[in-house]
Amino acid sequence: MANVSVFAEQRDGKLKSASTDIISWAKSNGHTVSAVVIGKGIKSLEGELKSCGADKIQFVDDSTLEVYTPQAYSEALISVVKNTNPDYLLAAHTPMGRDLVPYVAMEMESSSTSDCTSVEWNGDSLKCRRPVFSGKATAEVEFIGNDKPKFITIRANTVPAGGDRPGEGVTTDHSVDLSNVTQKALGMEKGSSARPDVTEAAIVISGGRSLKSAENFKILEKLADLLGAAVGASRAAVDAGFRPHRDQVGQTGKVVSPSLYIACGISGAIQHLAGMRTSKCIVAINTDPEAPIFQVADYGIVGDLFEVVPALTEEIKKIR
Amino acid sequence: MNIYVCIKQVPDTATKIKINSDRTWIDTNGIKWIVSPYDEFAIEEALKLKESDPSNTVTVISAGPERVKEAIRTGLAMGADKGIHIELSEMADTALTAKALAGAIKKQNDASLVLMGKEAADDGLAQVPQFVSRLLGFSCVTVALEITYAADVLTVKREVEGGTIEKIQTPLPAVIAAQKGLNEPRYASLPNIMKAKKKEIEMLTMADVGVTDSDQMVRLVGFDLPPTKQPGRKIDGDVATQVQELVKALKDEAKVV
Amino acid sequence: MIQQIAFVIVALIAFGLAFFRVKDLLKLMKSHNGRYSFPTDIIPRLTRTLLDVFSQRAVLKKPIIGTIHATIFWGFIIISFGTLEQFLGTLVPGFNFGFLGNPIYLIFLFTHDLFTLLVLIAVGAAVFRRAFAAPKYLGRSSDANLILFFTGLLMVSIFLMHGFLILGTQFHYSHREALFASFEISKFLSNLDFSGSEFEALGISFKWVHMILVLGFAVYIPGSKHLHVLAAGPNTFLKPAKTEKPMTSIDFEDESVEQYGAGKITDLSWKDALDYYSCTECGRCQEVCPAWNSEKPLSPKKLIVALKENLYANKSVIFSGKTDEITHVVDEVNTEDVFWACTSCRACEVACPVFIQHTDKIYDVRRNLVMMEARFPLEVQTVFKNMETNGSPWAFSSDERINWADGIDIPLISSEPDPDYLFWIGCAGAFDDRNKKVVRSFAQILKKANVKFAVLGTEETCTGDAARRIGNEYLYQILAKTNVETLNRYAIKKIVTTCPHCFNTIKNEYPEFGGNYEVLHHTQLIGDLISTGKIKPRKTDFGGTVTYHDSCYLGRWNGIYDEPRNLLAAVSVGPVVEMEQNREKSMCCGAGGGRMWMEETLGSRININRTEQAKDTGASLVASACPFCITMVGDGIKAKDYSNSLVVKDIAELINDATN
Repeated sequence: MANVSVFAEQRDGKLKSASTDIISWAKSNGHTVSAVVIGKGIKSLEGELKSCGADKIQFVDDSTLEVYTPQAYSEALISVVKNTNPDYLLAAHTPMGRDLVPYVAMEMESSSTSDCTSVEWNGDSLKCRRPVFSGKATAEVEFIGNDKPKFITIRANTVPAGGDRPGEGVTTDHSVDLSNVTQKALGMEKGSSARPDVTEAAIVISGGRSLKSAENFKILEKLADLLGAAVGASRAAVDAGFRPHRDQVGQTGKVVSPSLYIACGISGAIQHLAGMRTSKCIVAINTDPEAPIFQVADYGIVGDLFEVVPALTEEIKKIR
Repeated sequence: MNIYVCIKQVPDTATKIKINSDRTWIDTNGIKWIVSPYDEFAIEEALKLKESDPSNTVTVISAGPERVKEAIRTGLAMGADKGIHIELSEMADTALTAKALAGAIKKQNDASLVLMGKEAADDGLAQVPQFVSRLLGFSCVTVALEITYAADVLTVKREVEGGTIEKIQTPLPAVIAAQKGLNEPRYASLPNIMKAKKKEIEMLTMADVGVTDSDQMVRLVGFDLPPTKQPGRKIDGDVATQVQELVKALKDEAKVV
Repeated sequence: MIQQIAFVIVALIAFGLAFFRVKDLLKLMKSHNGRYSFPTDIIPRLTRTLLDVFSQRAVLKKPIIGTIHATIFWGFIIISFGTLEQFLGTLVPGFNFGFLGNPIYLIFLFTHDLFTLLVLIAVGAAVFRRAFAAPKYLGRSSDANLILFFTGLLMVSIFLMHGFLILGTQFHYSHREALFASFEISKFLSNLDFSGSEFEALGISFKWVHMILVLGFAVYIPGSKHLHVLAAGPNTFLKPAKTEKPMTSIDFEDESVEQYGAGKITDLSWKDALDYYSCTECGRCQEVCPAWNSEKPLSPKKLIVALKENLYANKSVIFSGKTDEITHVVDEVNTEDVFWACTSCRACEVACPVFIQHTDKIYDVRRNLVMMEARFPLEVQTVFKNMETNGSPWAFSSDERINWADGIDIPLISSEPDPDYLFWIGCAGAFDDRNKKVVRSFAQILKKANVKFAVLGTEETCTGDAARRIGNEYLYQILAKTNVETLNRYAIKKIVTTCPHCFNTIKNEYPEFGGNYEVLHHTQLIGDLISTGKIKPRKTDFGGTVTYHDSCYLGRWNGIYDEPRNLLAAVSVGPVVEMEQNREKSMCCGAGGGRMWMEETLGSRININRTEQAKDTGASLVASACPFCITMVGDGIKAKDYSNSLVVKDIAELINDATN
């Protein structure tokens, strides 16, 4: 039975499911779970945190914490960790989590690691493995000292989702001196496109000239929206004016390495391959069974993208 | 303003990775080493600042074995003024590395801005910028997509999920970690490459920067290659069957949806 | 007496002015810093130059205008003797070439008159062409119009001179018949009511018109494109001796060199200046330039003219030694786009009748842009980085270089250390799926023919051709030296390759770095294998006629036109038809000069233009022998949706499929 603190990330009053997944999982493994929530007006999250498994809930509620700044949030988390002294401080490896945790770890002069893709309880200690060299290998993290807490961020979808063992939900309010915070949050901007950039998206769906028009790319966009994916294009499609140059994937465009790359109506000539062949999983949809793209695809469908992609979209809807 | 750029030398991303026999590291034979791509954005940002104000100096620092001198030379060839090499084992973890870097910077006692990539392309731990900032007592903003400079204050746009941008204002001194797209790193001109051969690289030992082996907190062990990829397969059947099978495979086999 | 004095004064002034103008031009030439190795094979060159110049064979490649020019050229020479006679005759009254005796003198006079007439007709034809039938590549030129006008005037003045002198008091009776045309004119002039001495005076007046026109020309020539009359001969003498032309290298060990490539006009060499002086703005280079013909801003003609004008514009700064103020070659008029548009196809150089080497200048300017200023298309940086780290323009690791051989047993040099041929694969052959098929086909041909060969496998690294053409000479030398070291370590003597770019650089450019090998292109070796009976390909029906697209690096760069065609003819049932632009006149596919690695954002697509030309032959198959050509034409076929009626294949694929 370890004392496990979990940073329960919230933005705009909504808890991240990746965080609540960790809480449930730790709880279901028999540990005492303490959720740490930082923000403004966050007390309303008490119910949700209790039902996903938090035995204790540490609130740091302050107007300075309404919007994330690294400095203010790390001061808040440091204060809570110092006061609660857990064995582990876990967080989801989200943009906020991966930024925040290291400040706290170094302040506590305590071991830390990040982006674990495999986590397993061995009694009260946690065994973690993580990808290295852009996922070309994995390694186990060995913690050298006996310091605590150990700070670990975990990649989303690593621990099983949900779980319905509620915790005791005992809350504590912490007040933190944030008067020395010099950083200011100046606001948020929605990105120019609601979709992620091809280079950073986990899933990329690309179209070639066979889409025949800019309008037809909507077929791919529908699927992309479902998956939170980016939409890319081959050079031929960009040349034909169907997509802007910033979406071009290839030797003279962007080089991408997503977890999933779906190539629709793209033949897979080397100039395109050079931009996406390191993708973890490649799906090819093309009417030409001899198209070179099938040489690198993990899964290939010889077919008309105008039939296959909408059908695929429907099928994905069923599992989302 | 004195700007320090921390860089890491990593294996080139196209290199095939082989594990060594006791699974404690990779087989470094035949590895091509490069400056970690995210660190290049940091170097470029520093050089742009130098161009806008020639009184700014740019020092490139790297901690690692002898070979990292090449990476420092690349930074010098791009246009940095000076290099610092801290001799450190290639097995050093992020904590030891960060302490060494912070130690070197503290020793210089003149840093206003510390730049580096948001993560190293080999381990992707994304910790060193935050560690260094805490050790130096500097403010820090990571994943910077755009930096606007005014008197002693920086406005940084940083990327969070879904294409959203957070704007954070921070005073100097600060540590800023670069994200891809911050700028376009320049190609070193030949005269600069030639000049770089003569630029100074200061050598520092672990003792010089105040670290020992016991500052290492974590080790990576048990290196494994991922299970070999199954050869690709074509999915047969009518469209409905094909997409069903595809989605099942993506979900259960590849685990990407 | 007066005439003598007047002549001496006028001649001194004219020749004096002409002399100082030419002196300045020579001084400008000498002010260049670029390297040029003066050739050593003087005698063969002299012979060849005399042949080239007097036969006018380069100009005659275009028969009609060629004949017009040749006429004017030969006329110019003969009439110069006539002019000389007039000059000497004015200095020494009564002097003429009559001492040569009949019939020589009469033949001289006859020929002189003949050519005066022919030149006049030729000038008339040239004027007609410029006025009513001007080809697009010609361009308007007041310089040209002036020269034609004054040449015509000169001929007219000669006729009038002779015409009046025949009617005058001094004329020798027998000369009259030799000057047959002038004689006819004199008959016409005799209708004028003048006395003999008046005719004589008129004749002398037109002699003076004639002489002053010539002296005027002498002064005018150095400032006009007519300068080619002085420069073209020497430029012909210095033309590259062979079709194969290695790019000049840079010595990076030389610490005194601070400027790499051409940034200012004076960074080029004096030979480049001689090229500008030789340019007549005929436009033949522009006519054949694939960049210009696809609406890119590069015209070889305009470039040479612009470089010349740049040199002249900087004259006073150069002469006063203010080298810092010499303007850059790349400016708002000659933008970077002009220099990046070149595909190094050398069609311009082949078309030029005075053997200007346009590409040398373009590539030297690229060197400055790349190495000194790091100014180049963004996508090229990826190529440089990939070559530096992985020895390939694509981001593939060198471990993967032998993957093309999966499933076939290919001997590695490390286990077959004494092959007859080292089969050089190249990056396209190693990494490009389309081209892997070609190297596999050729490997199979070699096996079928029992050729003892081996490959370097993962020890091969990029030959560096693209780096050199884009302008990164530093990177090129690193790659070239690495390859030479590997090849020499294995004591390789003979190399065969399927890529004309690898072929060209290893054969013609590696010797400078210590790599001396006998290098064959695969079409050459296949030809040998067939003629010695080692393989016997069947005739195949490709569904109609077949055509061949010449790779620039095989054709214009290395003179290999016949071997691939012979192979195609040997293996095709349907006849081989030629595209209109074939052999020396072949149109580039657009990928040379490093352009394979750059985005083509201006104008129309070169490769699509060429694909259309292939389609227009009606052939069902277009064969080629270069991985870039196959990529470009293949892309063109896809872009135009011709896949059902036209395919592109490498010669090796065709031969292999036809061989058991």
